[in-house]
Amino acid sequence: MMEKIKEITRADMADVALGGAFLGTGGGGDPYIGKLMAEQAIDENGPVAVVDVDALDDDALIVPVAMMGAPTVMLEKLPRGDEAISALRSLEAVLGRKADAIFCIEAGGLNSTIPIAVAASARLPIVDGDGMGRAFPELQMVSMTMFDVHACPMAMADEKGNALVLNTVDNLSTEKFARVITVEMGGAGLIALYPMTGAQAKRAILRDSLSLITNIGRIITAEQTANRNPADRLAADLGGMRLFEGRVTDVDRRTEGGFARGQAIIEGLEAYQGRSLTLKFQNEFLLAEENGTPAAITPDLICLLDLETGQPITTEQMAYGYRVIVFGLPSDPKWRSEHGLELVGPKYFGYDIPYQPIEEINAKN
Amino acid sequence: MTEPLREVTDADLDAIEIGAAILGTGGGGNPYIGKLRCREELKKGNRIPVIPLDELPDDALVVSLGGIGAPVVGVEKIEEGEECLRALRAVEREVGKPVDALISVEIGGANSMEPMLTAAQAGLPVVDGDGMGRAFPEMQMCTWSIYGHREAPAAMADEKGSIVVIRDTPDDIWLERIARSVVVTMGAAAGLATQPMRGDFVKRAAIPGTITQALNLGRAVLNAHQTNADPVQTVINQERGKLLMTAKIVDLERHLKGGFAVGHLALEGFGDFAGDTGKIDLQNEFLVFRRNGAVEVCTPDLVVVLDSDTGLPITTEMLRYGQRIAVLGLPAHALMRSPEALAVVGPAAFGYHDITFTPMETS
Repeated sequence: MMEKIKEITRADMADVALGGAFLGTGGGGDPYIGKLMAEQAIDENGPVAVVDVDALDDDALIVPVAMMGAPTVMLEKLPRGDEAISALRSLEAVLGRKADAIFCIEAGGLNSTIPIAVAASARLPIVDGDGMGRAFPELQMVSMTMFDVHACPMAMADEKGNALVLNTVDNLSTEKFARVITVEMGGAGLIALYPMTGAQAKRAILRDSLSLITNIGRIITAEQTANRNPADRLAADLGGMRLFEGRVTDVDRRTEGGFARGQAIIEGLEAYQGRSLTLKFQNEFLLAEENGTPAAITPDLICLLDLETGQPITTEQMAYGYRVIVFGLPSDPKWRSEHGLELVGPKYFGYDIPYQPIEEINAKN
Repeated sequence: MTEPLREVTDADLDAIEIGAAILGTGGGGNPYIGKLRCREELKKGNRIPVIPLDELPDDALVVSLGGIGAPVVGVEKIEEGEECLRALRAVEREVGKPVDALISVEIGGANSMEPMLTAAQAGLPVVDGDGMGRAFPEMQMCTWSIYGHREAPAAMADEKGSIVVIRDTPDDIWLERIARSVVVTMGAAAGLATQPMRGDFVKRAAIPGTITQALNLGRAVLNAHQTNADPVQTVINQERGKLLMTAKIVDLERHLKGGFAVGHLALEGFGDFAGDTGKIDLQNEFLVFRRNGAVEVCTPDLVVVLDSDTGLPITTEMLRYGQRIAVLGLPAHALMRSPEALAVVGPAAFGYHDITFTPMETS
């Protein structure tokens, strides 16, 4: 059984970032920058309390904060540091009240660590949960959308001093507006959105995600220390599976419409010799195919791990010659509902295939 | 001295439409839909009170508003009618104060009507003046911005109900950049209201009396139609303008680029101008007129294209090959010709670094 965490200290941040990178499924940005920001904020303000959503009052105000944009840009265009707080303050001003807790919109990637930095700076607790259980490329792709929580009012801020507040007709149009604005901001901006009451959050969020990423990070660290590849223990503990092993032989990656889009080809090694897997991504890995037959399909998680160390590899780090394990993990059941698949299933991303759960696909082999 | 304009009534709308379209120098959008919307409001019993610029109290809060987008889109995507009102309300919420009066950001084209429409809906007066004295394609190209007013916070609203508030930007060019990308997402047409201005600033910075100007100009054209006078000559007389060329459009290139209509038209003179060739460049508005390759009139002075028979203005989206037109130059207001203004609306601001602005009277 997974251990639930009660606070995040400086010492925990390495595991949080590692687990966040794993659940990032190649996207969500490298958690490294956010980790440094969180460590600094914890040094200045002390550890961040992690609260269970059930411990919050029904009328508590919970505010998710995140960085939005193309991960390839986030690597080079560093935040100034106070943009996320200014987005939070801006949203508080619109709502006319202070946030009681911070929330993590996506437990995968950079956004697993940025909210911790914000929570530490604002001296607020962070709720143990997230809106995706992984990373996804668009902001309406959160469990909150399935439970009628509106993304707006949404605040945006960048390092130049641009500040905006959006109030749009639905969460998909929030994404469309926010996306063009992040492009104009230079490819990335900090956002505060989906303000929720405690009562809404209890219904709408995916639970225990921060505990999950911390535990994943601990497993990876422990296995690495013991000179074992963490894939086997991750598979056993998380109910995941090794899908493929091989060498990256081709990466086609474009920054397009504010996204990192493309595909990678992996030629099999060892037991997978002679086979070839294609990974398609849009910020995150969304589809793994072997000879046109799907091996894993969004919303199920496709994680890329270094074959030697088990270190998660992001889409923007991926390069020719990398030796990798392709690891699959079933998504949260909420994503497998009809509404969930409308939001994040293969059709939404333009892949004309029906969704099949990863367990079923790989049970046949 | 005639009594200043105190109210815009139904009978004035047709004339304002014509006058505003002439001052739009081909752009600013077609005022026709806005006119119909205004007429609906007046039929409901709402009114459009007008405050003469010099009577505006110093401490009055005035919001400049209008539509933003590509005029070619405005013709097909008909506004829902309350875009500017929602933008106004969002700005009021943002600054936490009610607004006392509205003013047009540009008298040229559709944005002549938007503040009047919003005034009727909101029960507020409009100020007799505007921020351009014509039309220009970008938001920072108005006297508010040129003479030191910061546009943020500003709010944008679309016909679907989405609102984007731009709370702060490093400068007005950033506001324009962000607003432009937002308006493309809004479907290339939206209502926009900017940070309230104080009355004393507006009195200093506004191009004065431009609602009256548009009204009188339109009336003169309508009167010429009724009396079989030459409407083109009427416009020239009314505005101290100059006939640059009577010509046929022999080539037209126009495309949508980044939310703007850009291109040029080639002209072949007729009548007194037979043998001349002309060229007009446009970016939503007509910007530069050349005769036989040499620049004669350029922004911020007004290059106006009228139907040579009716004297009615032709907007850039209505241009067609073969049209017979009269090209006029009208002098811009002094507030638009100062060095500060020329830095923002002179030829260099539109990428014409080889053209030096010379007032049309002296060229």
